[in-house]
Parts: sequence; structure tokens; C-alpha cells
Amino acid sequence: MVFENALGRLGVLNVSGPIDTAGHPFFEAIGSNARACVTCHQPANAMSVSVESIRERWHATQGRDPIFAAIDGANNPSLPQDAASSHSLLLNRGLFRVGMPWPPRGITPEFTIELVRDPTGVNRDPIYGLTSATPTVSVFRRPRVAANLKYVTSPDGLFNVKLGVLMDKDPDTGLPSSMNIMADARAASLSVQAQSAYHDHQGGRGPLPRAQLERILAFENQVYVAQAWDARGGSLIEPNGPSALGPANVARHEVHVLNGPKTPGFHFFDMWLQRSGAPDPQAEFRASVARGNDIFLNRRFWVKDVAHINSIGLANPAKRTCAVCHNAQTSGMDLAPGWVDLGTTNFPTWTESPVWSESSDLPVFKLTCRADAPPHPFLGRQIYTSDPGRALVTGHCADIGAITMGQFRGLAARAPYFANGSAKDLRELVDYYDRRFDMRLSGQEKQDLINFLGVL
Amino acid sequence: MRLVTCCLVALALVPADAVGTSAQESASSTRRSFVACPIVRDTKTQPCWLAEYEGELYYLGQQGGVANDFYPPQLGHEALVEGTVGQGRVCGGIPLQPVKVSVMRELTPACSTMLPAEDGIDAPPPIPSPRGPAPSWVKVVGPGDVTLYFDFDNDFFSLHVTVALTNLAKHAVETKASRVEVTGFRAATRLSNGKVLSERDAIGSIRARKVADTLAGLGVPVGLITVKAMSQAQPADGVNDAWNRRVEVRVE
Repeated sequence: MVFENALGRLGVLNVSGPIDTAGHPFFEAIGSNARACVTCHQPANAMSVSVESIRERWHATQGRDPIFAAIDGANNPSLPQDAASSHSLLLNRGLFRVGMPWPPRGITPEFTIELVRDPTGVNRDPIYGLTSATPTVSVFRRPRVAANLKYVTSPDGLFNVKLGVLMDKDPDTGLPSSMNIMADARAASLSVQAQSAYHDHQGGRGPLPRAQLERILAFENQVYVAQAWDARGGSLIEPNGPSALGPANVARHEVHVLNGPKTPGFHFFDMWLQRSGAPDPQAEFRASVARGNDIFLNRRFWVKDVAHINSIGLANPAKRTCAVCHNAQTSGMDLAPGWVDLGTTNFPTWTESPVWSESSDLPVFKLTCRADAPPHPFLGRQIYTSDPGRALVTGHCADIGAITMGQFRGLAARAPYFANGSAKDLRELVDYYDRRFDMRLSGQEKQDLINFLGVL
Repeated sequence: MRLVTCCLVALALVPADAVGTSAQESASSTRRSFVACPIVRDTKTQPCWLAEYEGELYYLGQQGGVANDFYPPQLGHEALVEGTVGQGRVCGGIPLQPVKVSVMRELTPACSTMLPAEDGIDAPPPIPSPRGPAPSWVKVVGPGDVTLYFDFDNDFFSLHVTVALTNLAKHAVETKASRVEVTGFRAATRLSNGKVLSERDAIGSIRARKVADTLAGLGVPVGLITVKAMSQAQPADGVNDAWNRRVEVRVE
């Protein structure tokens, strides 16, 4: 199947062939709020969801589409649900509310949380907030891509090599988890994720029936997405073209291959570097993509103050390339657990200042680390953040702002980007990295990277 | 000169109680232990890591990967540098080899010096990752007799430590061990200026507990594991202090 998007067409491949969606638990409401998995994992949006499609649904249904369910499709379930302003984070950034119990069950956190700013009111809400009967921290995140999951779930080994601690284990199999499934890696398996989504997003009651769970997992594990056609570059799945492109190639490649000289992150684009003498817009675009791939693989810059990259024995700063962190071939994720504090949610490198930006509806928290606990390696003991990330699961100061990196696939179909939806397009995503790491990319280099990312 | 360097290296790696007083004095003269801001120097190849002490620039090592023996320090933090003075200059500094560099926990924003690449100052060729246990992190006497080393005041398991723990657990399970003894040590370090830095009181216990928990997670029956910790810091001599920050594991 192919779906149009702003840059071209997304290809969606079900390797098991056509599926009958009628009665299928991925596609039909199985909880209590009329939502299905597909509500927020749309094939046209690379099995995630775009702001564009969310807005279309708002206008088409006057806000009655199940995606706007009060529980997490609103800024605050206590707000009037028929007002678009009550869903601004979803409509403007594609963000869903994630309510995390605080403190995490069974954990004594290394830090305290104070509210600095709560524009949605949800964190002060008497029912849903920090001082409610079930104290909860609400943060707002993009839904992850529910496709190409063999790359996401592939475990790296017994240890998280970054932290030197044992991996969480899949509760069903007892085997190490990849710890790459969610933004905060709190689900050790797709099964755990599906069951929690059934309760947290779909209002499911009681256990998700095993048969339904297995059908959901089977479907998720057979779906592959990638851009298949580009408006300027033409077909991305031509014979003898780049073997990274198109969903069939994503489906056929091996998992858990580390980026390296013989196994570059997105395989090879050399054939697109060949240019004919005559002006040819398609050939020029393809050459730009190939140059973007080259920048991704080879441009070195100072990676600085990224917790769980610069704090794990790799030096701070480290002169590295994009592909050192985004090192998993074909997906662009991290083979090791990929939660890092890139800085998108924390002062002073956050994507925008939610403190001063009147247009931002993101909360701001002040986290203060205990004197006897290890501080955040680059932000110390007092941290302002719009999303503490992994730290809401572990209670560790070192994890504040750490978010699991997402896969690079189907980007053209699912803007905006970053877990906080702050980059409205690929230009803003590339600009953030350019600023954050002082990459000094030229205008052409930025465009090359944008073109490269757009065809993946 | 190469022979001298070799012997000093060996001397620095043997336990403190095996070294005589005169040998210690000799070793002390070539030892440097200090806390300073690290400095990173760009080069045409890999960045070099340096630190300045008493007006002299010392070369610590170069950027590598987690499989390397040397884990570079971090700007934004001071580093405890413990090493033996080598010969010549590398990347503009006198090499300390071997060297143990510990990142101090609290932030020091003033540690921010980045030197640009300069003609004539090059990084050495990359050092291959050790094939076996990296000496900064692990000493293997036998499959069931392993000592794990740590950075100052730190319980982080380097890649080498995780490999050693995996092997230890496998050995314990395969040999149907009757007992696994884990002993954690707390250390102090005597700096070249005479000051003594001590690790926090509980660090020996924290290290030992973490090792024991990890072995259990790797399949060693909990009932076989005994955990001991030395709350008293090992005496600091300014020579072997880095090797007192350790956990000993004995599988019987």
C-alpha cells in the first residue's frame, strides 16, 4: 500500500499479505473509549500520527474522533473537551499526555519535583495531578512508530553497555529486552506495551484477552514502512537503487548490524552520486540525498554534554558523527538502549523555552537531586525540564531528560519530530542539531541532510 | 629507556603490600596524582586528552571506544589523574602510562578548555582494544578469581567489568560453585601534593552489593553469594591507590 504525503508517497508492507481489519483488535475498539491501536498508529503516518492528520480529524468530526479522548488526547481531562484549546498539544504538536505515577512504584527517587509552570493545569489538577490521591506527573510525548519493529525489539545483550547494568528482561520469555521500545523504555516488550496501551490509552478494563494480544503483536511484527516515492527523486525502490530504501528493503535486511565502514547505517547511496552532464532535477536531488547520507556517516563534530553518550567513557566532548549514536543499520536507532539526554527537554538546550514562550503549553518542572545521589552529569543537581524522560521510571538524576531515540523511517509521513513534537519539519530538526552541536552546516549541507532523511 | 618504562609499569600494577619502601619511594618520584580540569586537544585524527599539573602538561590518552582500556575524562568535571611519567611528549604533553583517570562527580563548569588542532601536534595511532581483560578495569588470576577496579568514588561497571562478571557467573554455574565471595573495598588516594582524598564511606559496600546483585541476575544462586565490604579506606601510598578501589570475587 502507498499513502501520499508532503514529500511523496509512503510504502506500507505487510509481509504476511493482506489483512482483514474487520474484527481485528489492532483496528477495532477493544477498550471503553472507542479507540483502537490504529487510532494513533495510522498506516498513512508510518504507523504513528501526524499533526496534519490529527487536525483533519478534528475538523472532520468537530473534535469527536476518539483520538481526542479526554484521558490523554486532551491537555487535561478536566478541561472542557469540546474546545480545541483543550487539545492544543495534540493539535499543534501531536503530543499525547503520559501520566506517570510519582514516585515510581518501589523506587525512592534521587530527586524531588516542583512545578514551575503548568499551563494545562493537569499537574495541579486535584484528580490527575501531583497532589492527587494517585500522585501523577503528566508529560506529553509523540506516539512511536509501530512498524519495522524487528529493529526496535532486537536485544543488544545481557548488559546495557552504556550504563554497565543488566538489561530489563521480557517478563514472558525471561530474555533481555532491547529497552528501546518506548520513549522512556518503561516497557520491556511489545506485549507489555500493548497491554499498558490497552489500559492507559483505550480505557481497557481487566486483562487484555490473550488471543487479542497475540493478534496485535503478530500484526505489529509484520508491518514495515518506508518512503517509497519522492516527488523530486522519483521511485525510491528501483532495481539497483539504494538498498536501504522502501519497505521491502527494510523488511529484508538483517537486524542488529552496527554501523561501520562495511555496514554503513543506511547501506550505500553511491549509485546516486553518479551525475550526467545535462541538468537533471531528479539526478540532482538524488545526489543531494547521497551527500546527506555522507554527512550522516562521516561529518565529525563535537558531541557535548549528552548524558549517556558523553558520560559513559566516550569522553565529553567526543568528536563523532551522527552515525556513532544512531548506529543501528537500517533503522537509525541505537543498538544499545537508546535513551540519551540530547537536551531537547532540559534547560538550557531545550528546543524552545517553555518558561518564556507564551505559545508553549508544555509544563516546566524543577528537579532537585539529593546531595548523596549522583547528579545529572552535565546539569548538576538542579534541573529545569519540560519532560524528565527516563528519570520518571528510574528515579535517577542521571536519567533526567533522557529519551529513547526513535527510528528514522517514514519521517516524511509523520511530522512533527522529537518526542516533544517541537520540530515541525525536517528543517527544524536539522537546525536543532546544528545549533546544539555547533555543526556549522552550510545551507546546502542542511538541505542534503533534509533530503536524505525525507527519503528514508 | 623502554625497559625502564616497562618496569615502572609493572611496578605500578602490583599490589601495595608487595612493594618495598625504597621501591615505593622510587615509584613515587615518577608518579603523578592530582586533581585538575581535563583539557581536550583537537587533532587531524582523534582528540587527545591532557591535564596540567604544576605548570606541566601531561598526556592522558585519546578518544576511543568503550572497549578501550582508557576511558577519557569529561569537560565540566575535574578529574583525578593517577599515572606514571613516561618518556617524550605525545600530543604536546608528557605521557602518563599507565594512567587511571576518574571523573569527579560534581560539576566544575570552569573545566572547559578545548585546544584547536595545531600543525605538528598529532594524536598517536589508535590503540587497539585489549583482547583480554583491560588492566585498568580487571585482573584475572583464574576463572574464579577476579578483581574488578573502579574509578574514584564510583561504582560504574565498564564494558570490561561486565564481560568479567559474565564470565564469572558462567564459571560459577558451570562448576556448580559452592560459594561465591564478593569483597568490596573503599580506598583513599594520596595526591602528589600530599593531600589525601578518601572515597565516601559506603562505596565499598555499594560496589560489592552491585557486583553481587549482578552475579545473581546472571544466574548465580543468591544463596551462594556472600558479600563483605571494607568500610575502612585502604591506606594511601600515592603509588598503588588506584588498585585499592576494587571488588574481589572468588568462586569456590
